[in-house]
Amino acid sequence: MSPFFALLLVPMPAMGAFLLLGLGPAEFNRRAIQTIALAGATLPAVVMLPLGAYCLMGTCDGIQPIFDLEVGPAVVALALKLDPLSALVGVTVTIIGACVIGYSIDYMAKSEIADLRRYFALMNLFLASMLCMVLAGDSIIFFLGWELMGLCSFFLIAYHVTSARAIAAGRKAFVITRVADAFLLAALLLLFLEAGSVRLDDLIPAGIATDDVRRGLIAALLLAGAMGKSAQLPFHTWLPSAMAGPTPVSALLHSATMVAAGAYLLARLAPLMETVPLVMAVTATVGAATALFGATAAVFQLDVKRLLAYSSISQIGFMLLAIGLGQPEVAIAHFVVHAIFKSLLFLSAGDITQIARGTTDIAAMRGALRARPVAYLAFVAGAASLAGIPFVTGGWFSKEAILASAWLAGPFGIVLWGVALSAAVLTGAYAFRPVLVGLIPVKGARMTFGGVFTNLPILLLAAGTFAIAPLVTPMVEFLDATVPHPPLAVELVGAVAPFVGLALAFAMTFMPRISRRVAQARRMRSGIRIDGVYQIVFVQPFVALVRWLTGQRGSIADPVGTLPVMGAQWLVGAIVRPLAHDPLDRAWAGFASATVRAWGVARHVQSGRVRDYALAIAVGVALLLLLGWGTTWR
Amino acid sequence: MTPLFLTAALVLATGLFAVGLFGLMIRRGILFQIIALEIMLTGPALAFVAAGAHHGDPGGQGMFIFVLVLAASEVALGLALYLRLGRHADVSDSDTVNLLRR
Amino acid sequence: MGLSGAFAIWAGALGLVAMALAITRPNVVHALIWVVAGLISLAAGFFALGAGFAGAVQILIYAGAIIAVFIFVVMTIDSGDAALARERVRLGKGWKLPLVLVLAVLAPVALSLPGGGLDGAPVAVPAQRLGALLFGPWAVAVEVASAMLIAALLGARHLARREGGQ
Repeated sequence: MSPFFALLLVPMPAMGAFLLLGLGPAEFNRRAIQTIALAGATLPAVVMLPLGAYCLMGTCDGIQPIFDLEVGPAVVALALKLDPLSALVGVTVTIIGACVIGYSIDYMAKSEIADLRRYFALMNLFLASMLCMVLAGDSIIFFLGWELMGLCSFFLIAYHVTSARAIAAGRKAFVITRVADAFLLAALLLLFLEAGSVRLDDLIPAGIATDDVRRGLIAALLLAGAMGKSAQLPFHTWLPSAMAGPTPVSALLHSATMVAAGAYLLARLAPLMETVPLVMAVTATVGAATALFGATAAVFQLDVKRLLAYSSISQIGFMLLAIGLGQPEVAIAHFVVHAIFKSLLFLSAGDITQIARGTTDIAAMRGALRARPVAYLAFVAGAASLAGIPFVTGGWFSKEAILASAWLAGPFGIVLWGVALSAAVLTGAYAFRPVLVGLIPVKGARMTFGGVFTNLPILLLAAGTFAIAPLVTPMVEFLDATVPHPPLAVELVGAVAPFVGLALAFAMTFMPRISRRVAQARRMRSGIRIDGVYQIVFVQPFVALVRWLTGQRGSIADPVGTLPVMGAQWLVGAIVRPLAHDPLDRAWAGFASATVRAWGVARHVQSGRVRDYALAIAVGVALLLLLGWGTTWR
Repeated sequence: MTPLFLTAALVLATGLFAVGLFGLMIRRGILFQIIALEIMLTGPALAFVAAGAHHGDPGGQGMFIFVLVLAASEVALGLALYLRLGRHADVSDSDTVNLLRR
Repeated sequence: MGLSGAFAIWAGALGLVAMALAITRPNVVHALIWVVAGLISLAAGFFALGAGFAGAVQILIYAGAIIAVFIFVVMTIDSGDAALARERVRLGKGWKLPLVLVLAVLAPVALSLPGGGLDGAPVAVPAQRLGALLFGPWAVAVEVASAMLIAALLGARHLARREGGQ
């Protein structure tokens, strides 16, 4: 048995926990639910870490077939795959998943037992589907995981089922990611038609081998799918709304799963993407634009969670930029670093704001240093990594690598570098705003600490943000690439960027004139109103069409169904009715009523008397005899 | 030649059947009707035996045995039904037992 | 036709008369006696036709066993003067229409009777040949008949059972 058999065991515990909690008929008490959820979340990490270590030691190219389905001429060969990419991402996902679900045990402790069960079941399913997608060796499992994640994110964003806003946010996320899923499905189907196989190992060469037009189409569809899932411009609107869900959901959704899935998809299929330069250029442009846009929008947010949401959009934009520049390895390194600091930011911010009675305003961060020191310091660590404070944080190394690859990508790359650099400056600005607000002292604040399940994941992740810093270069090399190095001056400019951002944050926090202007910039806060554009372009015409079809605008209700009926009625009135009631009709009607009467008479035959029946039988026999005699008579 | 014996026997058999049928129709008592049914059955029995004798074939008597078996079964069930009905209805008149329910 | 054929016809005619009397008796016991008489007459006819086994079975089982069952049942019912008077009234009333109907039924039968060419004396069939037939080619039919008798036995027992247990 090959060691890759263990791949099958990675998503199993989480899936098992989902089945137990989501579908199991037994009643569980609070403690049992938490135990099952924690086991389901931590066991994948326990299995995945040795696999990652095994991968690190050498043979890191294995496939574990699950089963083959023969569908006509094609063979659907389901399999899980371990290569450096899936090993690295898998390890990240399992660790982040374990941390977030562990943190949820404290965070969600006050909810109803049924809600708790639903929550943990879905979180485990979420984790399992992401793991399935990451480890997938074929497009079927990949797509299955991708779709399941979309479903889970819908349920988790709409977790507060009594809140109309949460339901609407979940629906929005579902619909928009669904649109993107359709693109991905189309791309995967086209690839399948090219390759006649579902194995990723066959799909990529087949996609490369096909002609330019199809390859371009496939690459464009893949990019569209990734953009939707990763909330890139112009699909970004679902992500800020998704803040309606509980904070740990956001932590998982934004860091290691869901939004990162788009980047993972492109990294996975990077060899195919790289053969279409136009799509690569579009990817880089979209990434850079989204990075800048997300950072700008984040600067103007008044809500910590929305700020972090726009920050995710912006950071995934950086990843897409790297992929577009032909450096998917750097993108994945940034993915790992981002997963750590973003989940850390969400978890610590969630811990701080939970104390502030539910509100997630940046103002709720006031006095956090005194009130909640552990979470606050962890938030500072995460923000430092997000902003990219040089040399100590992982964020600096990965972001620097992205900026470097932009700088080295020719004249167009320098433009992108400029855009990305300004995004990096703004990143520093928005990352430190909540940090600085936290420094503002508040009278009468008491110092409190969270429980073990709160602090352990936070501290672990906080340590991770620094520990990952020296590992960024080895990670890229592990993925069989080298970290690009630009001229020293360019690197220095990149290193200064976060400090410029910090200065901006100071200005916005402590200079009342500027902070007031920030608070008034509603246009920027709502993400340049792409939602409004969608409302006008897609929603309103659709609603108008539906209104027209239902007859609310004075038109005929349901024309598809009504018009034939009206036509038939006209036909009856014009042709059938004048010809009705003729003698022939009356004769038939008379015949019908006569039949009814005759039947009443005929019923008397059934007298129930034995003698009558005997006679009837005898008459029948006589008639048969007569018939026999008649037919044989000569 | 005087009437042929097989034709005469078939006429007699028809007569027996007709007598039985006539009895079934004029009698109302269930017991009498069962007797009439027995008489009806003797008609075919006679026809079978006569035909067997005419052809010298044992099949005629074999069929007679089956008719006998049929008569025996019919009598057994008929009398059982008669006794059963006698507890609820007027069995001296089968016309009163013309509904499938009591 | 021969002497035996003529005797058979004569015995059959006697049986027919006895049966006709049987169905017109108001008293059920008298009716049964006439049935027995008719059956025995027919049995005599069978003997004359050379079907000795059929005749013997007719007397033993038909006239013996089956009619004995009738007698048992008849003993359980009350046939007093009132019942006799009622039967007389019924017999006198409703016989004309059935007679016409029966004759109407008989008409086609009379038409389909074989006309001529059926000459010859009856041929005696010994019981050995009958046995060879019944337990040879007809064995399955015999088994089915026995199964039917068993079914009739069980059905009769079930029907005649007193309601409410036993």
